[in-house]
Parts: sequence; structure tokens; C-alpha cells
Amino acid sequence: MRPVTPRGFRDVLFAEAMERESVARAMSDVFSAWGYAPVETPVVEELGTLERGVGGGVGEGMFRLFDVDGSLLALRPEMTVPIARLAASRLADQPGPHRVRYVAPVFREHVSLRGQARQFTQAGVELIGQRGPAADAEVVAVAADALTAAGLEGFVIGLGTVKLLHDLVAAADAPAEWGEAVLAAAHEHNIVEVDRLASEMFVPPQVGEALKAAFRLRGGAEALAECRALLEACGREETLSDLSETYRILEALGYADAVVLDFGIVRSFDYYTGLVLEVYARGLGLPIGGGGRYDRLLAAFDHPSPAAGLALGLERVMIALAEQGRVTSVPALDAIVGGTDPVAAFRAASALRVAGWRVRLAVGETGTGLVREAEHADAAEAVLADGETIYRLDRVGERALPLGRPLPAPPRSTWAEGGAR
Amino acid sequence: MIVRTSSAKERPLRIAVPKGALFADSVRVLERAGFDVEGLAEPGRQLIVRGGDIEFVIAKPTDVPIYVAYGGVDAAIAGKDVLVESGLDVIEMVDLHFGACRFVVAEPMDTPRSIEDIYRHLGVIRVATKYPRIAERHFAERGMQVEVVKLDGNIEIAPLIGLADQIVDITATGRTLAENRLRVIEEVLRSTARFVANPVSMATEADRMKDVADRLAAAVPLSEEE
Repeated sequence: MRPVTPRGFRDVLFAEAMERESVARAMSDVFSAWGYAPVETPVVEELGTLERGVGGGVGEGMFRLFDVDGSLLALRPEMTVPIARLAASRLADQPGPHRVRYVAPVFREHVSLRGQARQFTQAGVELIGQRGPAADAEVVAVAADALTAAGLEGFVIGLGTVKLLHDLVAAADAPAEWGEAVLAAAHEHNIVEVDRLASEMFVPPQVGEALKAAFRLRGGAEALAECRALLEACGREETLSDLSETYRILEALGYADAVVLDFGIVRSFDYYTGLVLEVYARGLGLPIGGGGRYDRLLAAFDHPSPAAGLALGLERVMIALAEQGRVTSVPALDAIVGGTDPVAAFRAASALRVAGWRVRLAVGETGTGLVREAEHADAAEAVLADGETIYRLDRVGERALPLGRPLPAPPRSTWAEGGAR
Repeated sequence: MIVRTSSAKERPLRIAVPKGALFADSVRVLERAGFDVEGLAEPGRQLIVRGGDIEFVIAKPTDVPIYVAYGGVDAAIAGKDVLVESGLDVIEMVDLHFGACRFVVAEPMDTPRSIEDIYRHLGVIRVATKYPRIAERHFAERGMQVEVVKLDGNIEIAPLIGLADQIVDITATGRTLAENRLRVIEEVLRSTARFVANPVSMATEADRMKDVADRLAAAVPLSEEE
């Protein structure tokens, strides 16, 4: 029998693993530079904890497990709720704000034959204990900087707010069922149904107009002004004040090209209370990341605190990079070190490593055998250790010039330079 | 899963058009909206035809929501019925008002035992359908226990050969049902053709997508409104 991985799970090998590692590191370095500290949480949480946090949407798509005592557990479907749980328990007595970052696998259940992975990796940050537009702007700026550092170009971060829909529903002063129907239709991205509900007899005309128009509004300062006018007509001057200020900060800092206001954004998690954001890359049919403000989530764990965060899907970022031809492929090895004397080979390899080379040992191999091994391993060089001397081998396995001392820099260029061989 | 398409700025917008019952009306509404549909009228065996700055993708109707949700196309025309059945995330932009049909529950006109009787004694009834999600959702809302049998065609036969007690199927006029001595007992859902969009395309190609949606909305004739 040839074993297989379960549906929706996969192995990640050499070249891909290395590229993922380098992109994840580039993003983590940006998170670090903004003062975010790493945390790790268990892949398994109490089902109740996750359900209290995640609410609808992903709730049904959780991987469930039984503990030996019969209690229900689940694999985390995202990282925000586990980190909120951690902040509300382990960090409860420490003065905030807390800035935490993570790169971690998450798990979601999907129906079969939709070609979807059940495990994927999220890289993200959470800013806990700070409210207001400056904190929102920070989260957006961190996302933009991380994607730029990963090498992605032309991405767009869409910014919206859940307050828009909630305030318009409240302004309508209509039966509760109507409000629920509007929110449900918006969650399903069903604009046809939102329009129909907005046209109901009992809905004040200015609220109906705002519902129909706002959902389609997108753009920069002019879209913001237009949306404000719609809301003011409904007596809701305050709805967009935070988002306006967040946008003003980002615009002043030069992020205007990377962000767009999008009043149609509805995120599938129920925990958002203000800003919602989604990250798009050209040519990809699904968002590569998302996040927002969730000021009530920590209260679900008896430790109320404002918070905001974002997560980027590593797999989707990798696809976006590949699509732009921007994944740098680096030969895994600089040299294979052969030679009949193990001690000489180990010494040569260790000297090369000190000089910055990535080398692998092939003790006992010489000549064409060593060259073949280097080709198999996709190493840039085959070198032979003979006593204290290290010889380069040519294509047919003959000794070429010995490496001079001090040893030269490795034949590859560095990751930062693009890794061209 | 995620679809990789060209990220070039000047790429054509891709719009899927369903084969079959909705095809002719789809082409007509696109034409009224001012799109170049010449290639669609005579596609031959081509599945992707160009019309101006749009690429039309001719698709099997049930595959359309998958193309849209995963971003293989930016937008599409699709029946509300297949959208509901797929359960996928797409933005429903415009009700195009054609292709009207209803989902109904039907049962044989002459059965030896009434459905109520079967339900009382067996606690479950069998329902045959091409649309298992819609059927399951409907009976769940009614609080009835059912066993759904998914079939791929000629659903009307299922009760006649004893495979099911009731069926959930689409009907425009109800004639096929009557010819097979089935009667409609309740309506599940009304469906018309919709213009739908991929959520990311709505953000990254906002202006072009809005233009297409507005033109289609304007092209929906008032006479076809319900």
C-alpha cells in the first residue's frame, strides 16, 4: 500500500518549503520591526472557547475532536480567538497594550471535492488594549509593509466598517426581523435582496437610498464624502468618524495607493465591531488576507478590552507572488564536499560554512561520482578536500583550481539580492 | 482552492454565460446592454469567445457558481437555483428577471397511502431531487425528517418506481409534472437569472464591474418585471 495524506492536507518539500520560510520570515521581520512579539498557542482549543469567539460562519467548518473524558475540542480555525483567549487569561494582569504576532497553521473543515485545503498557514498580528483610528491605521500599515517586504506588488487593502450597516439598520427603526434579514442578505453578498429589503414600504426613503447606494460605494476621499452625505441624511454623522480618521492617517503616510475604501466589505466572522479590512492581489479570485477591529471579543472571555488585528494567508501570498513571477528560487546548496579522508572533508566543509557557504558532505565521493552528486543536489559546485586544500572540480570530474585562502564568498548571491545563480 | 489568472492590468473581463435554457435570454440581455455578442451567437465549438473587451466563457449552468466563487471568471449570469444549491460565496448584483421557474415539492396524484400516513408510521419520507441542499434546507425549516436521494435527471420517475415518496424539482409551467401524474403540494423557492460577481473582482476591477452591472440593470425590460 502506498500511503497518502488525508484529503485537504499536504506535504511541503524542499524548494517550496524554503520559499515559504523566506516569505514568512520577511513578513515576521516587519511585524517585529513594528514591535510585535511572537506567541504560540496550542493547535487544539476547547470547542466552547472557539464557538464563543468565532460565532457563526466558520463555526460550522471546525475540525472537532473528542477528549478522553468526552469533552469537545476543536482545531483552531483562525488565530484571533486563541490569541484573545490568551490575552484574556495569561496577559490579563499585565498592563497593555499588547502587540503580538504569529505564523501558524490553522484548520478548517470543507466538503469534499471543492479542491480546498483543510490546513493552511496564517501570518498576522493582533494589537490588544488600544482603541481608536491610530490603532486601526497601524494594523493596516503593518499589513501593507509586510506584503511589500514579501515582494508583492499591486496589492489593494480594502477598508470598510461594520458600523455602516448596523447604523443604517438602526436608523430605519423597522421591525427586528427586517434588520436581521438585511444583515443576513449582506452576509450572503446578496445585493439584489438588500435592494428589495431597502425598498420596503416602512423603510424611511433616505435610509433605503443609503442602504442601496452605500453598499456599492468604493474609492478614496470622494467615496468617503459621498457615503458621509448618505449617512448624514439619516442623522448618523458619527458612523464614519473613525474610518475617516484612519483613512486620513494612512493617506498622509503615503499608503493611499495601497488602500481603498470599500463600503461593501462584509467579513464572515461575527466578532468585528468597527474597521473591517480585506487584502486583494490582482489575478487572485479570493482575498489573500483580512482582519479588523473586534472590541467585544475579549469581553466574551470576561476581560473586556479593545483590539484589532489582521491575518495574511501564507499560501495565497505565495500564489500571488508566483503569479507575479516574484518568488525567488535559490539553489539549496552552494557545494557538495567530497574526498576520501573524512576528517579532511569535515574540516573543509566547516571552513566553507564559516565563509558563508551552504555545503553538504559526500565523504568517499571523488571525480565524476562527486560531480554527479552535485548535479543531483542542484549544488552550484562540487569540491574535493585533499589534506588542507579544497579543489574545485570541473564538469568531467577533473581537479580545477584550488580555492584560495581566505576562502571566497559562496557562488550564489544572497536571498536579499534575488538569489540569481 | 484559488484560481490563478493573468494579473495583467489590461486583461479582458471574463463573464460566464450558462449553456442550455438560460443561454438565449442571456445573449439577448447582453446584447441589449450593448455588448458585442456576435461570437456568442455562433460559438461553434469554442468555449471562450471574445467580444470587445469582454471574454465570454460558455459554461455548464451548475459549474457557473464555481467559476465565479473561485475567480476563474469575474462575473456570470446564473440561475438563482444553482446559486442556492452551490452554497458558494458570490455577490448577487442584478436580478435579470428572465428564466423564471419555481422549486416545488410534488407527489403522485394517486398513491395507495398518503404521505402523512407514511410519515406517521415510518417517521421519515424519502425525497428525490437534483438539488439536495435546497431540499434539505426546505425540510429542515419545516422540521420534517427526510431522506434525500440525489438523482441526475428525470426526477419525475422516482415516485413512479417507488424510489421516493416526494420530489423537489424545478418547474416553469407544471406540465411535465402533470403528465407524470404528479401534483404540486408546495412552493420551495422562486428563481430567476441573476448577474453575479466574484467578490475580489468587485474590488480589483471595481469600475469595469460596476459598468457591466449598471448596463445590465438598465437592459432588464420593465415588461419582464414581476
